[in-house]
Amino acid sequence: MTLRRAVAGVLALFRKRRLDQELEGEVLAHLELAERDAIAQGLSPEKARRAARLRFGAIEQIKEEHRDRRSFRWIENLLRDSRYGLASLVRDPGFAVVAIGVLALGIGANVAMFSLVDGALLKPLPFREPDRIVRVWHAPRPGSSNATSTLDFLDWKRLATLFEALSAEDGFSAALTGNDEPVRVSGKAVTADYFRVFATGARLGRTFTPEEDQPGAAPVVVLSYRAWRTYFGGDPGILRRRPILDGQAHQVIGVLPPGAFDRDEAEFWKPLVFTPEQRTRNYHWLTVYGRLHAGATLDQAREQMRAIRAALADVTSIYKREWTIDVERLARLLVGDNLRRSITIAFGAVALVLLIACANVANLLLAKGAARSKEMAIRTALGAGRGRLLGQLLTESLVLCLLGGAAGVAVASLLIRGAARFLSQSLPYTADVGLDLRTLAFAAAVALGVALLVGALPSFRNLPLALHRSVRGSSGAHIKVRRAIVIGEVAVSLVLVSGALLLFMSLFNLQQVETGIRTENVITMSVDLPLNAYPTPQRAALFYESAAERLAAAPGVAQAAITTHLPLQSIGSGEGLWVAGIDEAVNVRFKRVDPGYFATLGIPVLAGRGVTDRDRNGAPRVVVINQALAARLADVTGIRNPVGQRARLGCPYYVEKGVLVADVGIVGVIRGERIDAPGRPDPPVAYVPLAQVPHPKVRLIVRTQADPVSVVPAIREAIRQIDPNLPLGDVATMQEVRGRMLSGTSRPAWLIGAFAAVAVLLAALGLYGVLSHAVTQQRREIGIRMALGARSSDVLSHILRNALAMIMVGLVLGMLGVFALTRVMKSLLFQVSPLDPFALAVACVSMTLIGLLAGFIPASRAARVDPVTTLRDEG
Amino acid sequence: MSKDYSEVPYGTLDLLILKTLDTMGKLHGYAIARRIEQVSGDTLQLSQGSVHPALIRLEQEGWIRTDWGISETNRKVKFYSLTKAGRRQLRVAVANWEQATALVARFLEASS
Repeated sequence: MTLRRAVAGVLALFRKRRLDQELEGEVLAHLELAERDAIAQGLSPEKARRAARLRFGAIEQIKEEHRDRRSFRWIENLLRDSRYGLASLVRDPGFAVVAIGVLALGIGANVAMFSLVDGALLKPLPFREPDRIVRVWHAPRPGSSNATSTLDFLDWKRLATLFEALSAEDGFSAALTGNDEPVRVSGKAVTADYFRVFATGARLGRTFTPEEDQPGAAPVVVLSYRAWRTYFGGDPGILRRRPILDGQAHQVIGVLPPGAFDRDEAEFWKPLVFTPEQRTRNYHWLTVYGRLHAGATLDQAREQMRAIRAALADVTSIYKREWTIDVERLARLLVGDNLRRSITIAFGAVALVLLIACANVANLLLAKGAARSKEMAIRTALGAGRGRLLGQLLTESLVLCLLGGAAGVAVASLLIRGAARFLSQSLPYTADVGLDLRTLAFAAAVALGVALLVGALPSFRNLPLALHRSVRGSSGAHIKVRRAIVIGEVAVSLVLVSGALLLFMSLFNLQQVETGIRTENVITMSVDLPLNAYPTPQRAALFYESAAERLAAAPGVAQAAITTHLPLQSIGSGEGLWVAGIDEAVNVRFKRVDPGYFATLGIPVLAGRGVTDRDRNGAPRVVVINQALAARLADVTGIRNPVGQRARLGCPYYVEKGVLVADVGIVGVIRGERIDAPGRPDPPVAYVPLAQVPHPKVRLIVRTQADPVSVVPAIREAIRQIDPNLPLGDVATMQEVRGRMLSGTSRPAWLIGAFAAVAVLLAALGLYGVLSHAVTQQRREIGIRMALGARSSDVLSHILRNALAMIMVGLVLGMLGVFALTRVMKSLLFQVSPLDPFALAVACVSMTLIGLLAGFIPASRAARVDPVTTLRDEG
Repeated sequence: MSKDYSEVPYGTLDLLILKTLDTMGKLHGYAIARRIEQVSGDTLQLSQGSVHPALIRLEQEGWIRTDWGISETNRKVKFYSLTKAGRRQLRVAVANWEQATALVARFLEASS
């Protein structure tokens, strides 16, 4: 079509009425002229009129063709059919509510899930040229990662030329005082280049200058937008304020723009100034991020870091000789494999729910279509083409799906809002999840796709193949298609139900895993000692001692303990342990505990003793080891009974970053407590008395006599009596801590469980619909049978057998689906086979029962059929 | 199909209309249809009405122009005439047609 005609066609849309009138006039004139000529040829006026019409051809058809030729007929039709579709929805509100509701659920869940996938996996990171942002780290073994020491970082920065900026960060938390209550806030100490790496400027004020991370610089701080709003009420004069962090006033120099940094845990950024003590090569504490120069590739950066490692070989300690340096894009590191897999599976599951929702709506449309086949036949008889009817039916389903899509967006927005807290915990801070243009475009695409899927099938079915058949009314073909749809729904639901059951079994197994501790009636919280008030390890040790005493004496408290790491919490810090007789260090996780720890958590001492009150600062240094470490020592040295052995152990300093390798005596072996997430073997752990190696960040663990939450005020009071300026953070019962550790498994389980429940409900609805329609259709047949002596129970069982047949075929197909997904599920399951017979059996049986229940309602209606009335009504 | 009548070959109605207007000048729809029938010696099975959809298309292409006039029965009707572009189009269409028929003719000779 030429441009000229296209323009003319669009114009014709607006001149429709006038053009129609003109055409009418032309046709009349044409007929008159023809008639006149025919009369001139000697025909009677009657015959002349007939002849004229005959020669002209089918008038209406030619008018139609005229309209087709002059304009975009489909637009006209679309508008008309949409109006008609809306009107027919209004006429049948029951159908409209059910169909739109089902679609809204299906589309809404998918849109919400998409916004999550989009935020976490698809969208580029919310920084300028995010592909250039990388993380650089020590890899002791391929695939593992280790923090970086100060001198290593400074060498990298000096030698690496491919980075526009390279920065180091260390997390901190501090008491923010000077407002009302002291609050604990999180922050990051970063080198001055940090914001250049992320290419983020300040919204107010500025970020750090290169001098500000040098020794002697005045203390300054940059706030996140959220922190500015939360703690300072969005004070526009914030740049003149000097909030007090851990007792020291910090000049606010800038506020970051809202966005990504608001979702980060950190709220305050201060310059990382290396003290002389921190300038070592053996204390690994820094996380390093860099921004590559434009044009520099990842491979080039890796190559250069390899060269730098080789250049630094001479100054590298023996135990680090094997370490390599790895570089990876930040985007790849933020979403771990597990999260990626969970998201993908959940997205797959929710897509299946949508499929079932589609099937249900298609089913409803088919049932409606069966009732409309006469209308269609009449339209055909009146001259509507097949394409035109198909167009009408598709437009009607489009109207339905667009309404469903709009409702779905509302559902999605509710879902996203409801899940906001869980999302912010599970997703990296860079993930911006919400309804934006991309999500809306996705919603529109889904609605259109669903319209095609839902509309196409019933449309083809509803088009009368042979006119006479439809006018007489026959719906045998409909029933077959609808049965096929229900079978498909049962199959897909079975896949979801089995998946959910397997995940719940996996969760159950995880919860049964021996944690090695007593978790009932235990509450935990964290305390950070500000360095201005507790500058020395001795001061800190005094605090622990009095805190343990006061806590134990507090009302409602049974036992209390202090440690640096909660049970079930992975321990990041590792140290070397040297035992006499071997050269190589054994890598151990380093955990500090006070005398109450093992008793409070019910961890049994297997050999020797635990940590006691006598192991104070200044007393001979001791260490208690777990079974895993004892086994490791037995492996390496052949020593069967480690108690009484001497060893050398790296002990971190209190404040300065560095390690003192001290002589220690191994005094006891405890039975292991679980450290990492289940499914992995316990790492070797060295438990060191907190009093001998104090640390400013600790966790309080309190066993209570009754409900642990009720004792929290008493615990706060006990701590306040020692130091009124200490904020308590992270209050959580041990059960909650455990729940958090399992959340990687419990969340997918609940999510897919919810999807499965919706799927089953929809499948049952579909089954009910088909059977109930069939019963209505067969009333007459049932009536005759009953008149001939069939009993109600015969009718009932006939219908239920019918239902059962559909369910069985669906289950077989569903099983095939379950088999096909074995490999995908395997990675998510803990000690459950993806083909666990129990789970599959339960899924099949429950699907069958639910299906029969759905069938029972129409079946019992059929059994109550009164032969006399039925036969009289329809005979 | 009857031996004596043939349907308008596909796509040639446009050509017939253009040629008619070229030869006869300004005509209304009925006259165009009649003229085509007469020239074909009434061997063409043409629904007279089908010229109207063809005319609207030709008009939209800009090949013919419409003027309002009065018919022999005293009715206001459209009179159609060729535009410059229409004349050009006619030459192209005639050339195409001759090329196509020549090809078919050659083909039929070669095969017989």
